[in-house]
Amino acid sequence: MGYAKVNECIIPTDLHIAVKDNTWVRVNEDGTVTVGMTDVAQSLAGPILHAKSKSPGTARKKGRPIATVESGKWVGPIKSPVSGEIVEVNEELAANPRLLNTSPYRKGWVVKMKPDNLDADLADLQIGDEAVEAYRKKIEEENIPACSHIEGTEDYE
Amino acid sequence: MSKNIGYPLDLKMNHYADVSYDEKERLFEEVKADERYHHMLYGCYECGICVASCPSAKFYDFSPRVIAQALAREDVDLIYTLMEDSIWDCSQCFSCDRCPRGNSPGQLITIMREVAVRNGLASAKKALEGYGRIIYKIMSTGSQVSPDMLQPNAFPDWGVHVNEIAENLELWRKALPPETLHTTETGWTVSDKTIIELYLIWHMTGVMDLIEGIDEGLFMILVDVMEERLEDAGYDITFD
Repeated sequence: MGYAKVNECIIPTDLHIAVKDNTWVRVNEDGTVTVGMTDVAQSLAGPILHAKSKSPGTARKKGRPIATVESGKWVGPIKSPVSGEIVEVNEELAANPRLLNTSPYRKGWVVKMKPDNLDADLADLQIGDEAVEAYRKKIEEENIPACSHIEGTEDYE
Repeated sequence: MSKNIGYPLDLKMNHYADVSYDEKERLFEEVKADERYHHMLYGCYECGICVASCPSAKFYDFSPRVIAQALAREDVDLIYTLMEDSIWDCSQCFSCDRCPRGNSPGQLITIMREVAVRNGLASAKKALEGYGRIIYKIMSTGSQVSPDMLQPNAFPDWGVHVNEIAENLELWRKALPPETLHTTETGWTVSDKTIIELYLIWHMTGVMDLIEGIDEGLFMILVDVMEERLEDAGYDITFD
């Protein structure tokens, strides 16, 4: 479970990352994938007040919203990094949306999906050093401020 | 070197992309084509009454006189600079309406802002960024402020009782006599008929196209909510 730190942002090296949309994908053994938002996303949004996921059974094309996230200063979609059907949502997020801030890669997962065409979708995502470098570039180019963890953060290791 | 040396309007320059002169001229023509435009601008003799009455001028590097002057001179470059910057410092109080010549820099700014929004200018996106949540709430639910926004950590200045109220919010709301106020996620009960009508109005008047140009993410989540509800009500409408 390695990770790199870029500009104080934790970038796991074992997850498939959609750098453009600030989301990640973990491939599970049962053929489903777990999807969430990255440390960069939580930092940009600030403390999150509401997180509403689409219901299980919803089919989503890649790039369409799987959840709506509201913070004090922002509202926006979490865009699905894969096409497929939502099979499970993280019920805990409704009661405790700050999990997205404190544990974006573990307790703050958003939905589990049954992907339609995983191999093709994963090919568009980045993993490992490639993802870290892509994030480093994005952070520089878009002048993204250093990640803050004012709600605290769990150790990714 | 002091930042105040030089042309004051250049202070925030280069925070946005420069565009061709033709594009600036096109934007200005769009401002001028607004039917209100010629009722707002009659020439300026630099008396400074508008600046003296302007609350924004007291706090920002902003001057309503510059707006009237730049437009009257048809200074296309400066007008673009103002549209990417200064016009968002105006509080739209219209104190400047006391102009002895009958100019209204505030209302000229209204037009300039509308053109900036319609054309998706970077300044418009930035200025409206902080309103995303409000727009989302109003447009998806039909009411703006909701009781569940009463988050103790978001409003520490509301005192110790805010915790107690937030914890038992549903109960507190039920204590209010009108049943339409027994809500937590919206300010009041919004009927299906009302919300469907609102969605249809926004769809038909092009409001959704405007939002798509300004904030794609906001557009996406609004459409998601609206399409589903419209479908349930028997309307086959897509926004994309």
